[in-house]
Amino acid sequence: MVSSRQKVTGEKSGSRDATVVPRAGSRFRFVPPRLGGSLRVRRGRTGILLVSPAFALVAVFVLFPLGFAVYISATNWPLIGSYHMVGGSNYSQLAHDPVFIHSVLFTLLYTAIVTGPILIVGYTLAAFVRANRPGSVLFRTAFFLPFIVGLATESFMLLLELQPESGAIDAVLGKLGLASASTAWTVHYGLALGAICVFVIWFASGLTMMILMGGMQGIPTELYEAANVDGATWWQKERRITIPMLRRNIALSLIISVIGSFLAFNQFFILTQGGPGTQTEPIVMWIYEEAFVDYHLGYATAGAIALVVVVGIVSAAQFFLLRDENTRTVRRGRQSRPGRRA
Amino acid sequence: MTTRALTTTGARPVTGPRAPRRRAGLAVYLVVGTLLSIVFVVPLAWAVFRSMLPDALVTTAPSRADLSHLSFGNYTGLIRGGIMHSTLNSLMVAVMTAGATALVATMAGYGFARFRFRGSGIVFALILATLMVPFQALLTPLFLEMHSLDLTNNLIGLALFYTTFNLPFGVFVMRNTFLQIPWELSEQAAVDGASPTRTLVSVLRPLILPGVATTVLYAFLFSWTEFVGALTFLTSNNLYTLPLALINMEYGSVGQVNFGFLEAGAVIAMIPCVVLYIALQRYYIRGLTSGVVKG
Repeated sequence: MVSSRQKVTGEKSGSRDATVVPRAGSRFRFVPPRLGGSLRVRRGRTGILLVSPAFALVAVFVLFPLGFAVYISATNWPLIGSYHMVGGSNYSQLAHDPVFIHSVLFTLLYTAIVTGPILIVGYTLAAFVRANRPGSVLFRTAFFLPFIVGLATESFMLLLELQPESGAIDAVLGKLGLASASTAWTVHYGLALGAICVFVIWFASGLTMMILMGGMQGIPTELYEAANVDGATWWQKERRITIPMLRRNIALSLIISVIGSFLAFNQFFILTQGGPGTQTEPIVMWIYEEAFVDYHLGYATAGAIALVVVVGIVSAAQFFLLRDENTRTVRRGRQSRPGRRA
Repeated sequence: MTTRALTTTGARPVTGPRAPRRRAGLAVYLVVGTLLSIVFVVPLAWAVFRSMLPDALVTTAPSRADLSHLSFGNYTGLIRGGIMHSTLNSLMVAVMTAGATALVATMAGYGFARFRFRGSGIVFALILATLMVPFQALLTPLFLEMHSLDLTNNLIGLALFYTTFNLPFGVFVMRNTFLQIPWELSEQAAVDGASPTRTLVSVLRPLILPGVATTVLYAFLFSWTEFVGALTFLTSNNLYTLPLALINMEYGSVGQVNFGFLEAGAVIAMIPCVVLYIALQRYYIRGLTSGVVKG
């Protein structure tokens, strides 16, 4: 997202007839005058042709559905048959629907529980594997593997292990005396939520690790060398150098994990089926059930619009909160520094 | 400069008076790393083990005696039950998605990075903004739209849907990949009279392969076991992808779930991900760190 801003400013400064075109990540360039005129027009047309398939797909499968969703949400659209406009009544109904409100609160609770641990575990793993030491590449692979395999597949695997009497979780915890060997994890609200949170932290920390590790490896080693000369401890170096330099990466990983949690579906659908009752039903599952089980498409879409708005606000707010003047100067400093570790 | 010589770790040979301490540090590092790896990998390996137990054993508490009953019975049973059909569906959707995403994202990345045209900033922002639009929230309009276009119950339709939601990442990665290539290369090609396509295919191709590999891997892994979209847009049994076949086993079965089959099916879904990732992770990580993170 930052680079889109870069792109815009780059275009502003590189005006039509200028012969000096500054370009992100490279030296100032001299553009020979004979590359102007009709060739530029032709190259512009080629550019439009090149990006049009991507734009067409986004228009058909994102932009149109987005507008269509707003329209549907103002109707009583059933799956089959006629519909009529109902104005904002779907939305006012949402505000008084205890099942919907519960799903929103449940999703927020779930997000609140997992976000911090994912960041902390991910950061710790990243700090552990960032240097090129013997074994570090293998460890990276291992820590990232759960993310690669995917939440749906792993949920099916976990389903068996969460069963009372036969699951590995009960067997292990029973031996350790931490839980009864007949604990039925998926049918109790608190147990199911707890198990799924641990599961998701295990699943998602690898991604945060990767995002943070990439940033850590981009920090100039000179900073750490200077800190070593000053006799800084490990934690002082993390606090004073790594974390400030990683602000953007931390923001990115937080956004990804918060939005991922808002959109949770697979693990709940597969493991608890939303139960007991609808107690572990996150928002996406509420939308799915309302639309494709109960056939209230208009009403479901109103809830979906609320989700779109919230996800949009969160991405915007987190970008805003985690960006400051400091990061910008750091970035610029980083780009002009030649000898950094890549 | 002298401080650098004194404090750089890394490639220093393990000799001299401080060598034993460093060797001990390395040993601790390896032990801690191995323990942590166990936490992340053993649950997956455990699933492979459990998938090789007959259903009667899988539904009892795990014990040492299980080891003498390992068999591929669940897998042969699944194959008789038609799991290969769902696997093939998953594979087709994933390959179509990966191919389409790579093609469309490479074109767009090339266009955004190397060509100036009016509105390019806005179009790029629009495509990236898709990252902020959760497809999970667009299931209803997408279902109605795709239904009217005959794209529901259609693997091509599903692949187009997956492609679109892989595009923001793909276009972003590919644009950055092109931006990292020295501008002189394509300029030189243009001066030599090569068309943009020719430049892309002959000059830039080897340089963008890491980016393409990243895009392909992401798209493949995303679509191989994507769940909620497939659940919404596919309704007929013979089009089910792997996760749908599995959920059908869980929900659709009368009476007791066959956990042995379910576990074996999950392992079938897991294997291509693991193999692909381990084979291509160099590209994967390079693309991940250079694409998303450097911005």
